[in-house]
Amino acid sequence: MKSEKLSNEISLSGPALVELLRAVLDKGMPFRFQAKGASMSPFIKDGDVIIVSPLSGALPRRGDVVAFTHPQTQSLVVHRIVAKKGDCFIIKGDNTSNTGDLILKANILGCVTRVKRDGKKIFMGLGPERFLIALLTRRGLLFPLLYPLKRMLGPIIRRLAI
Amino acid sequence: MNTQVNLDSAYVPSEDIVAREIEGELIIVPLVSGIGDMEDELYTLNDTGKAVWEKLDRQKSLKDIAKELTEEFEAPEGEIQKDVVGLVQELVKRKMVVEVSVKNEK
Repeated sequence: MKSEKLSNEISLSGPALVELLRAVLDKGMPFRFQAKGASMSPFIKDGDVIIVSPLSGALPRRGDVVAFTHPQTQSLVVHRIVAKKGDCFIIKGDNTSNTGDLILKANILGCVTRVKRDGKKIFMGLGPERFLIALLTRRGLLFPLLYPLKRMLGPIIRRLAI
Repeated sequence: MNTQVNLDSAYVPSEDIVAREIEGELIIVPLVSGIGDMEDELYTLNDTGKAVWEKLDRQKSLKDIAKELTEEFEAPEGEIQKDVVGLVQELVKRKMVVEVSVKNEK
């Protein structure tokens, strides 16, 4: 037997990430990892660091961004609850054109409580405005409204930031 | 920080970690400042490290573990003992295991 060293630099995804996330949340601790993909853009972008916190018995609500296991693929997905239907939730990416997935509460692992981009906290999308975002996302109206608004307000915000 | 380990003591996984075997690999997530952090540190042990980890419990001292592994790996006991101590020292340094007194159930 040769001398053992701990090795670092592990990249996890799919079911492995789900298992670790579940294990940490089961201990009542939040879990931080890097988001992949653009389905939640502009509120969560590819490469943003997100914190998923345990639900601790609370029922997730419309507008919450949640981490869940997709019932078909078993992969980890982070999308927004846009409606409740019976015992299930309709969960959809802010930047997707589909109608969303019907997900049981048992598949929901935790709730996104913080987003960081390039080291800065991103507040938009997780506060009280999330209810309106959920409503617009469900109706497919988020982008038709968001982009003209961004074009109008973008230069003003940039000027104020200088 | 003193990371000396005692061959007559038992060591168990700390409460401040989550360890899972995933696809044959043992992965350890330290819960640094009360958060499981994939962006900071995530560790894995190779097969022989895993063999040591699986034997860490309150009933076995490091000496007992080295003895068991000597039989399993058919290697010199001194060499195995050195490796076990080296690994456990590293784990203690990273606060992944804690020393406990051996609980003899005999």
